[in-house]
Amino acid sequence: MAVNRRIRQFFFPSLTPTFLIRVFLVSVFAYLFFGYLCTPFIIQGISMEPTYPNGGINFCWRLRYLLSEPKRHDVVAVRFAGSQIMLLKRVVAREGEQVEFRAGRLYVDGKEIEEPYVRFPCNWNLSPRRVEKECVYVVGDNRSMPIEGHHFGQTSKIRIVGAPLW
Amino acid sequence: MVKIKYLLMGILIAIVGIVVAVTVFPSEEKRVKKRFRLLSEWVSKSPEENPFTTLQKMKDIGELFFESCELKAPDESLSGSYTRQEISAYAGSARAHFFQLDFKFYDLHIVFPEKEVAKVALTARLIGKSTTGEQVDEIRELECFLKKTDKKWFFSEIEVIQVLKK
Repeated sequence: MAVNRRIRQFFFPSLTPTFLIRVFLVSVFAYLFFGYLCTPFIIQGISMEPTYPNGGINFCWRLRYLLSEPKRHDVVAVRFAGSQIMLLKRVVAREGEQVEFRAGRLYVDGKEIEEPYVRFPCNWNLSPRRVEKECVYVVGDNRSMPIEGHHFGQTSKIRIVGAPLW
Repeated sequence: MVKIKYLLMGILIAIVGIVVAVTVFPSEEKRVKKRFRLLSEWVSKSPEENPFTTLQKMKDIGELFFESCELKAPDESLSGSYTRQEISAYAGSARAHFFQLDFKFYDLHIVFPEKEVAKVALTARLIGKSTTGEQVDEIRELECFLKKTDKKWFFSEIEVIQVLKK
């Protein structure tokens, strides 16, 4: 009987002042947490496959780079347009470094970089270019498409809004 | 009792007055937003659009722009200064490639850096189906400048923000 009452109370709680205050606080916390700190997003596109498949759901942890700088191989969310459209990309080089692709292999400052996350065949060639100040160079993991069809390049660090939670 | 009746009538008249004032005399921000709404409406195209509407929309699009409008785009071939007539012609030609078009603006952030100059940061999204059946879904961050002449706002500069530079 007591169990029944507890179940009923859980699903149909009495609208007591304490309950209403609790609902209000939970709502405010959820709004702030999921709106500003850990924003949910849906992945649309194949540029980060197979690491992040098209249609996947994740959260952007916005405090990730509050006290640190993005490092090479980090996956970051780059603000693309407005406050809601973001690009999910991997950092391959930092400011001052020279990036190039030779026969699908990534070279930074002339040294070949191991990229275990790149699983699909790639034949990209890109002449060397230096990453500007306060910028990072980002590329997607899926480089199976022609180089012209892939959104990548250097972007300002200010545009990095966080990192995916997993 | 009579006093309360007069008080309520006074409040009601004040509310109606405020609503009328806001509707009849919109703020400059609302006037600027209206120009974007018109641009969105006139660029968009339904499959049933008749040739007369198409011609009218082409003419109307040109009239939203200043005598000369500067376009800055990552693609150098598109950058330059365009007259109203050129804009109408290009818009007509671009719309002709589409069977259906939906052009929308989001996240409008309007400031007035100088008198009779408005600077707007926004997200533009174009969803459509080309005459060859190809689906198009493009999103870009834009920065626009509008100038006010004869109590109307006209687009004088449009910059497509480059997020990733190869």
